[in-house]
Amino acid sequence: MLSDLPIVGIGASAGGVEALEAFFRSVPDDNGLAFVVVTHLSPDRKSMLAEILGRATHMPVVDAQNDQEVEAEHVYVLPPGAILTISNGRLQLRHTGPGHERAPIDVFFNSLAEDQAEYAIGVVLSGGGSDGTLGLKAIKENGGLTVAQGTNVTRPRFVEMPASAIAAGFVDLELPVEHIAERIIAYVRDWGSFDPERPSDALTQIYEVLGARTGHDFNEYKERTFQRRVQRRMQVVQITKLAEYAERLQQQPEEVSALFRDLLIGVTDFFRDMAAFEALENSVIPHLFEDKTADDEIRVWVAGCSTGEEAYSIAILLREQLERRSSPPRIQIFATDIDEAALAMARAARYPATIVNSVTPERLQRYFVDEAGSYRLVKELRDMCIFSVHSIIRDPPFSRLDLISCRNLLIYLKSALQAQIIPLFHYSLRAGGYLFLGPSENVTRYSELFSIIDRRSRLFRRRDLVSRPPLPLRQFTPQSRQDLPSRDSAQSGLLQRSDALRRIAATIVEHFAPTYVIVDEGGQALYFSSGTGKYLQAAAGPPSRDLVAMARPGLRNDLRAALQNAKSSGRRVVRDRIAVQINGGIQMISVAVEPISADKEIVYGVVFADRGPVQAENEHPAGSPRENDGTVDQIEKELQETRERLQSTIEELETANEEFRSSNEELLSVNEELQSTNEELETSKEELQSVNEELQTVNSELSTKIEELDRANADLYNLFESTGVATVFLDRYLVIRSFTPAVRVLFNLLPSDRGRPLTDIVARFVYRDLEKDMRSVLEDGIPVERSVSLADGGGHYLARIVPYHAVGGTIDGVLLTFVDVTHLVAAEEQQRVLTAELSHRVKNTLAVVASIAERTLPDGVVKIDFLGRLHALGHTHDLLAEGNWTETRLSDVINAELALHMTNGGANLSLNGPPVLLKPQAALFLTLAIHELATNAAKYGALSVPEGRVEIRWQIAAASPPRLELTWLEHGGPKVDGMGKPGFGTELIERGLRFELQGEAKFELVDGCLQCRMMIPADPDRLVFVSPTEQPEQEEQPHEDKIRRAQNPGG
Amino acid sequence: MKTRFDGLRILVVEDEYLVASLIQDILEMAGCVVSGPIPRLTEAVDAAKVDACDAAVLDVNLGGNRVFPVAEVLSHRHIPFIFVTGYGGGNLPEEHHSRPTLRKPFRNDELLNAISALINPAV
Repeated sequence: MLSDLPIVGIGASAGGVEALEAFFRSVPDDNGLAFVVVTHLSPDRKSMLAEILGRATHMPVVDAQNDQEVEAEHVYVLPPGAILTISNGRLQLRHTGPGHERAPIDVFFNSLAEDQAEYAIGVVLSGGGSDGTLGLKAIKENGGLTVAQGTNVTRPRFVEMPASAIAAGFVDLELPVEHIAERIIAYVRDWGSFDPERPSDALTQIYEVLGARTGHDFNEYKERTFQRRVQRRMQVVQITKLAEYAERLQQQPEEVSALFRDLLIGVTDFFRDMAAFEALENSVIPHLFEDKTADDEIRVWVAGCSTGEEAYSIAILLREQLERRSSPPRIQIFATDIDEAALAMARAARYPATIVNSVTPERLQRYFVDEAGSYRLVKELRDMCIFSVHSIIRDPPFSRLDLISCRNLLIYLKSALQAQIIPLFHYSLRAGGYLFLGPSENVTRYSELFSIIDRRSRLFRRRDLVSRPPLPLRQFTPQSRQDLPSRDSAQSGLLQRSDALRRIAATIVEHFAPTYVIVDEGGQALYFSSGTGKYLQAAAGPPSRDLVAMARPGLRNDLRAALQNAKSSGRRVVRDRIAVQINGGIQMISVAVEPISADKEIVYGVVFADRGPVQAENEHPAGSPRENDGTVDQIEKELQETRERLQSTIEELETANEEFRSSNEELLSVNEELQSTNEELETSKEELQSVNEELQTVNSELSTKIEELDRANADLYNLFESTGVATVFLDRYLVIRSFTPAVRVLFNLLPSDRGRPLTDIVARFVYRDLEKDMRSVLEDGIPVERSVSLADGGGHYLARIVPYHAVGGTIDGVLLTFVDVTHLVAAEEQQRVLTAELSHRVKNTLAVVASIAERTLPDGVVKIDFLGRLHALGHTHDLLAEGNWTETRLSDVINAELALHMTNGGANLSLNGPPVLLKPQAALFLTLAIHELATNAAKYGALSVPEGRVEIRWQIAAASPPRLELTWLEHGGPKVDGMGKPGFGTELIERGLRFELQGEAKFELVDGCLQCRMMIPADPDRLVFVSPTEQPEQEEQPHEDKIRRAQNPGG
Repeated sequence: MKTRFDGLRILVVEDEYLVASLIQDILEMAGCVVSGPIPRLTEAVDAAKVDACDAAVLDVNLGGNRVFPVAEVLSHRHIPFIFVTGYGGGNLPEEHHSRPTLRKPFRNDELLNAISALINPAV
């Protein structure tokens, strides 16, 4: 699906963090782009990249999630241990497990190219290796924009990755990182300037220029892609107006070819043109294996192999054929290109997942290894191919080849160059070898060199019986490179049919060659040339083919010796100056016998040649020999000696030659070994590079971590130095690991004491069980807290011993801290003194009030009542002072008040109820209430008679909030008829209870005895209840505990 | 004396029943109408916001809470008030330093004089 959102894929590796920061700092907020950042990460480490980038931009930076929709002005970062692809505008995240994805950038760019087509923008920043190059290629092929971090202005820290992409020719813009964003935004903005509905005049003009210059009609080309590519070229040459660009095209032919190349960029793929490969598989491959045994070799040359898909496709076909043979020959594929970067990729043999579209599942399964998102050829196929840099024009060709595949290379070459290369292919192929060309290439002009096997699939076969124009060997020397194009194609005119040549040759031989006879090893004549009659004659007797027998007189002995000699030595033998009787004259001749091997058989050519004119028969024996006796013999002898010397020299030379040949063969095999070693090294180097890459990334993250660690350490150091809390770190053997300076008040510690057991150090405070406590903390992990004082009494400390948890939670020692509580202790002491003083003052004041009342009030009821109330208040004050003015028990308050009225050891009183705690205000109020009730009972009620009895019971009623229900019950007192007028006591209880405690009081007469019920809601400020079930142990607990429980009634 | 206070509405905030009823008695005998007495802070604040009183008597300590939020509301409404406290001096926050304060225990006429001073500042 194509959305209108341009997605910028950014690939970076080593040194990428700074480049990315610089990039994102230059991205304006309102940019209308989405960004996806892919880096090389170690799979098992957390990456902080998102956080770091978040500081460089205002856009939200997030770790990519699976199935996340890509939105504008968002930055998505590849998390570690995963690979990222994109489909229908949604990110696809796949976790790779422990395995390591070596080309995550290629993987993402490939999917981006496929998914977003011209909306894809690929950016390669700093990094090592060549990841990203293949991805940029895919983006460019699909009409997107490709950008690499350039080395002008600011350099990337590691140039290898962008340089690889630039060298491979897949990069549209090479820019310093700070300017990339700006140009991308300009590029996207310019899209608006094209109106696809109405092609502008300028666009038409461009079509025309291209048509005129290249002969290609691009009107058929996909219009959108065409526009994008034109626009991309405009970006590259920095022209903003279409009309201006059209103008530029008119003026600069180079720009036309640059645009042409961009437009022609095709997709290289496995089995590209499936039909052609099928034809290759069916009509050619099986023939390559004919007559080949295990000792033979099939040699294939893939010229212009680019990133290797074609070479590996052929390798797969050969491999499949190989598996059907019983004794298969060895296979050697030479794959060459001039593009070093492409070759590196070919050697790595790693291809994006998109190859599943072109490779059958069976082949994928058999010949590829799935490496988390990309596919790698198996080693047996990689070993079949040797990739090397080689220029088909400049470098010497390979030879004895069975198949040459050269697809889509010739279309880029002018016909003059093609005229050189096609004969060169003819030379390189062995007899009957095959040529495989691209769909728009042909050899029809050279039909004398190649016959057609399959016209449609461009499969050709070498014609053998032809004379090829001589290869211009000179062109392979580096000096002659420059004049290459000037070599005209006239040579092709020299091509002649061999039959005609052979006829001419035969005529020449007939006219000018010497007379000769071909004999077999037995000396039987096999063939006579014309004119042998001069030297031979029919022998007497039955017809014979015996050459010696046929020889004319004088020749016979020499001929026999020469034949014999040639047979034994296997070399040419020449006999000179033989006098032969011919028709009454003497003819001096020379005879040469030449051994010739033909079809595993050796024949001998016997060649006759005249030396000088025919002489009269009588002259010879008498004249010439005699005349020459002196000098000629001498010369002949010297000649003979010279010949022999020559002979031995020749033999030596031949031996040397032989040795050279074998050395050469050895060198060749050494060379091949070197080449394969080189291959392996190349692979190792790449692996090292990727490991290095990873190390670089880890290293840079590590330095960041170290910096943070340093900062944290410095913070800790400062904290230690400044903190007043004395702290000692001990290991599990109670040996001192470190301590804060404040500890010196408590221990005689020196910095050199680190590593000594703490128990060896003299402590300045009293804490006998220190070691025992520390061991118990080590054992069960429960912290211990104690108050300790300095031995000289000069300070008080709260010592806390807590377990030291190592990473993973195990207890790896203890932490001993001392908080100086000297001031706190002093303050507590002061408070205690003040409270005691206060109680004393209050009691004193009450005593003084009582004494004043005693003296000033007249004796009587009023005085007694008043003093009774005053005393009641005094008792409660005592209780509250004991409880340190926090709270006091209800039962205590009642007991204290009723103590006066107890008779018979308390038989007249009964108290019954759960523990209830009262705050001072409630305690004081209830004191007064009970006092009034008791005084009343003593005057008129149950306590006024000996048999009377008072029962006080209380309970906590479940309500919200819980309620204290206290009942005062009198039994056996004098019967009372009515309640009478409410007095001070009744009023105090009824109104006061409501006023102060929001409670309620009810007075009733039951059987003439008074009954008072008081209901008081719980209130944390006034009174608190203790749950009855917890009563037994609660009685013994300190106060704090009760408060806590009361505040959490639910618990 | 009576005419001075006749119909004067006084808000009383005091949590101790005996003290509260004493104040109420003194004021009512002088002819005032007592609003309250109110023992709790929250209710006192609510009353201070709406009560149509002419003056107020505020106990500083309400069951452990300070009465100052009530004082604040009254200040806003420009209603004069006096503090009643068992504490010594220096226990009032800055903004209330200048307020008239009665120390416990106090005599009846001390309370009435203080009220009188509140409503007739010139006298």
